[in-house]
Amino acid sequence: MDEKEIIKLFAYMVTSARGCVDEPKIYGPFRLVDSISKLYGILEKNNLIGNEEVSKIIEKIEEKKYSCMTDEKEFVTMLDNVIDDFVALLNFNKK
Amino acid sequence: MDVIKKRRSIRKYKKENVSKNLLLQLIEAAIWAPSGSNVQPWYFIIVDDANTIEQVNVFSPGLLGKPPSVILICSDRKKAFETAGTLGRDELCVMDISMAAQNIMLLAEEIGLSTCPVKSFNKRAISTILNLPDYVSADLIISVGYSDEMTSTPKRRSVKEVTFFNTWGGRI
Repeated sequence: MDEKEIIKLFAYMVTSARGCVDEPKIYGPFRLVDSISKLYGILEKNNLIGNEEVSKIIEKIEEKKYSCMTDEKEFVTMLDNVIDDFVALLNFNKK
Repeated sequence: MDVIKKRRSIRKYKKENVSKNLLLQLIEAAIWAPSGSNVQPWYFIIVDDANTIEQVNVFSPGLLGKPPSVILICSDRKKAFETAGTLGRDELCVMDISMAAQNIMLLAEEIGLSTCPVKSFNKRAISTILNLPDYVSADLIISVGYSDEMTSTPKRRSVKEVTFFNTWGGRI
């Protein structure tokens, strides 16, 4: 893997952190999930992840992430659904 | 009015490059914007080199959808101050580049291009990457390319809601 790709992601994340000091509050959650998308892209490109369930979750994020700018409720619902997906994926829902 | 209403902020672009000729047309539209005290404080850096766009992208969290080109609109704050004082430097500059930006985005829409204005970028990093002098402010990035997304029409506050006649609260 090209180490520079990861360094770029670090730079993107710290730039996002700096931006979040001044930007609208909703941009924070957006930057976090956008970072997940970027990290997933790097891992996928380098054949370091191949989990189909994770891929579906990332698709779900990609599909709805921009709704933070037009429909915050839809964005939050997406986050809630994605969390549910991760709980199930990690097999933590043992009740 | 059609072009104004059709314009959307696009956050997913096709890989197709935009010709230099079209990009320069956008700048031609920009320089005809109104300008306080006619300072015309603007400079436009067209970035269409893939490597440089990638560098800009790393430090611009708001730059989304991999556009093939971006325009950084800058303002010469020193010139604005010399001509129009603190009002020119601190307020008129922002208005001038905003009006120039709108010209860019509307002409882009008219000639089949799509855009998105981006303020979420790190000014220090972008100024370093693009080698700006210290008296020039990196004010706004506009992504430019061919849209690869279906957009919806966001709700607008009505004319009635936002308009008063003659005094605050004055209705027809």
